[in-house]
Amino acid sequence: MAKYSDLASVQQAIREGQTSCKALVAFYLEQIKEHQHLNIYLEVFEEEALQKAAALDKKIQESPEKLGKLWGMVVSIKDVICYQGHKVSAGSKILENFESLFSATAVERILAEDAIIIGRTNCDEFAMGSSNENSAYGPVLNGINPQKIPGGSSGGAAVSVQMDTCLAALGTDTGGSVRQPAALCGILGMKPSYGRISRHGLVAYGSSFDQVGIFAHKTEEMALLLEVMAGADEYDATASKREVPAYSQTLEPLQQPSIAYYRSALEHPGLDEEIRTLMEQQLDEFRRAGYRVEGVDFKYLDYIVPAYYVLTTAEASSNLSRYDGVRFGFRDKEADSLEDMYTHSRTQAFGEEVKRRIMLGTFVLSAGYYDAYYTKAQKVRRLIAEETRRLLSDFDFLLMPTTPAPAWNLGEKTDDPVEMYLADIFTVQANMAGIPGIAFPVGKTGEGLPVGLQLMSNVFEEAKLLSFVKQLGY
Amino acid sequence: MSARDKYETVIGLEVHVQLNTASKAFCSDSTLFGAEANTQVSPISLGHPGTLPVVNEEQIAKAVKLGLALGCEINPHSSFDRKNYFYADLPKGYQITQDRSPICIGGALKIKIDEAFKSIRIHHIHMEEDAGKSIHDTDGAYSLIDLNRAGVPLLEIVSEPDLRSAEEVDAFMSGMRQLVRWLDVSDGNMEQGSMRCDVNVSIRLKGEEEFGTRCEIKNVNSMRYARRAIAYEVGRQVDIIEKGGSIEQQTLNFDPDTGTTTPLRDKEDAHDYRYFPEPDMPPIRLSDGYIQAVKDGMVRLPWELYEDFTEKLGLSDYDASLLTEEVEVAKYFLGLQHLSQQTKASANLIINKILPYCKDKQLALFDFPVASENLVEFLDIIRTGKVSNAMAYQRIFPEMTEQPDRSPLEIAKDLNLLQSSDTSFLEELIEGILADNPDKVKVYRNGKKGLLGFFMGELMKKSKGKADPKVANKLLREKLEA
Repeated sequence: MAKYSDLASVQQAIREGQTSCKALVAFYLEQIKEHQHLNIYLEVFEEEALQKAAALDKKIQESPEKLGKLWGMVVSIKDVICYQGHKVSAGSKILENFESLFSATAVERILAEDAIIIGRTNCDEFAMGSSNENSAYGPVLNGINPQKIPGGSSGGAAVSVQMDTCLAALGTDTGGSVRQPAALCGILGMKPSYGRISRHGLVAYGSSFDQVGIFAHKTEEMALLLEVMAGADEYDATASKREVPAYSQTLEPLQQPSIAYYRSALEHPGLDEEIRTLMEQQLDEFRRAGYRVEGVDFKYLDYIVPAYYVLTTAEASSNLSRYDGVRFGFRDKEADSLEDMYTHSRTQAFGEEVKRRIMLGTFVLSAGYYDAYYTKAQKVRRLIAEETRRLLSDFDFLLMPTTPAPAWNLGEKTDDPVEMYLADIFTVQANMAGIPGIAFPVGKTGEGLPVGLQLMSNVFEEAKLLSFVKQLGY
Repeated sequence: MSARDKYETVIGLEVHVQLNTASKAFCSDSTLFGAEANTQVSPISLGHPGTLPVVNEEQIAKAVKLGLALGCEINPHSSFDRKNYFYADLPKGYQITQDRSPICIGGALKIKIDEAFKSIRIHHIHMEEDAGKSIHDTDGAYSLIDLNRAGVPLLEIVSEPDLRSAEEVDAFMSGMRQLVRWLDVSDGNMEQGSMRCDVNVSIRLKGEEEFGTRCEIKNVNSMRYARRAIAYEVGRQVDIIEKGGSIEQQTLNFDPDTGTTTPLRDKEDAHDYRYFPEPDMPPIRLSDGYIQAVKDGMVRLPWELYEDFTEKLGLSDYDASLLTEEVEVAKYFLGLQHLSQQTKASANLIINKILPYCKDKQLALFDFPVASENLVEFLDIIRTGKVSNAMAYQRIFPEMTEQPDRSPLEIAKDLNLLQSSDTSFLEELIEGILADNPDKVKVYRNGKKGLLGFFMGELMKKSKGKADPKVANKLLREKLEA
């Protein structure tokens, strides 16, 4: 069976009888089996996906007018997204075998439009990580080179699309967790504006940063999924009430886009030479096309990562307090006091990185340190957000590398958390400012590893952003 | 002078009021009291992964209402914070509260102490959610947790340290209870825990301006306990200072069995709650229009009506206090007073008959069965002298509660209670009485006017209480002095 990278071809093939939903799901299930060694999925909803496909095939025959917008789209969901009656473990032992009693708003909305969910993908524990090595269920390997990490925290989601085990994947992006693995796996990854998609049903990491993100090969699929999932939600007070444009209908080429880039990013000592070259080539290409391209100064680049980690760990330390062994999840049954139950359960069932971030977050919120860390980081966030939004009112887009380096070897950075955190330097700005960003592939290194650049636009300008990425050939 | 008399007690209160909203503070679970354990718990109440709080707007309206009644400044831009601590009945591991920017700021509650009014300033009022309940003494091996209460909305009213005695605390709590019930903000039920308070107590030498070190007595859930806890705690502090010691800032627990306070925890292991802004909910923005609309929807306040009742309607302090204790009573009184155009008589009827009847039958006042037109007629037949006050209250009123649809005049007729001012009928009776008691008539005529009472009594007996006392009195005198 042919591989499909866009929904239109899938739907056309089904309509013309070359394939069926059921055959399509069977194909993806084959792909999953073939790539089992990459540890992409924590659970495959095999029977259920096949049944849904069969029901859909019937619907195509009997009442095609009732088909939802996403019919024929097979999607994977990251293991931090709740799906009623299904397990959601956040890549953690503490939620091993925990079943969600409800579905995330994003999940409900795609199901209502006839998407088929094929399984839940592996990820860093509680979405904390940049390499997918922090999953309690083992690392995910990069399909292009299994010696390499796929990026994180939505590593399984990225590889699920990379290896054609589904057409699109839902991940979450708190500081780059969709865009970074997309770049390292050579596909598209989008983080919408903060609040564009409801967070109801996302296992929280950093509440004021978290956002559902989308992996796909083409902008059409991202646009369609975004328009289905976005919009106000009575279960999330931070979900924007702003009207949702029909993104899939507005992918028109832009006439004279203007593009800014940070000189300090391009000249950053930590930036890999090959990525720098690819970024310069991309800028030249824009210039040749007659677009306005300008290098601008941004004095806060080196403050972004420290401020981001202060704020997200603070929120995480509180968000993860509910995993206490009392009502659900892992409990140390040997403990004979409440205090011991907390300490033992959390010590045994949280991984090292999660514990590190809980402790860091607890520290920055502690009496006597709060102002020096939390308050200051909030001020930095405000400055960065204001500066970013101001820049993006002068320019349509901001171009950045997605990562300072291509995919690294498994185990290469696990001993140095700070170096690992610095890998987020180019992605966290979008989360700090709440703006949307899309990582797109621009080429490969000499070693054959994918390189992705990243375009960002001002808040809620997803339509423009998607149009421009389409214009670049996606 | 005892050592204790040298000191002045200084008290500040943190009053927790459970709001009577239909659903919880941040989700749609019911708040009904007394349901089976852990039945009013959705994944949101349970703090399941992926759940988010969404503020209940009814809770905001009630907070604003109480704030306006207390003369607080309503914060147009308040926000929620998280207070982090671990406890088994706190599902999320943090409580959503307001730390930096509460919804109401300032204000005061007037209390009445020894016939004088005193204003107790309010520092602020903030919104928060309640925790669940831990039950430690039912199961031998385990603590049991009921999360029905988890997430129920609370207001915390923090007073300035303006209170000086247990009596003032009592007056403040009673006044607050009256107000929250009046405004339909809470049922104010201390037994069910809808109102509880933490009491901050310190002492200082009389005349001293600096405050002493305070101790906080937690979870005092009845006024009786509050009085005992304060008395014990003041005694304890005086003893320490008199012995040359100093007070250590502590959180104390009051044990009603022993009547003593004991430390819950001291400063060393004091909680660091790591308050920080709640990222799951945007700040609450209240427009002037919103605040005005809440104001416009409010009933007149108890002290406003008290002033009206005493000054404009001329009711006694006692009557006015009773009639402004509950908003339903005040409304009922105003309704009856308006229809009957009789102020004092309406007040008396409600205070002496209707309220006791409802209390006895455990009825809400508005479920009192007799229709208002019959009550108006009841008051009318007394005013016009058709029946005596005594007969009306003793015989007609009970009959009206039995037959609420019947006219009181009809009842009076049936019971043969209509007063007679028919002079010929009375004269006939008087003639008979005088003829039966010639010696007493003689004594009277010789100057012993006190015997008039005897003749009146006889007349009432003979007339079966129907004689209009005024008319009878006049006729009797005429006959006796003829």
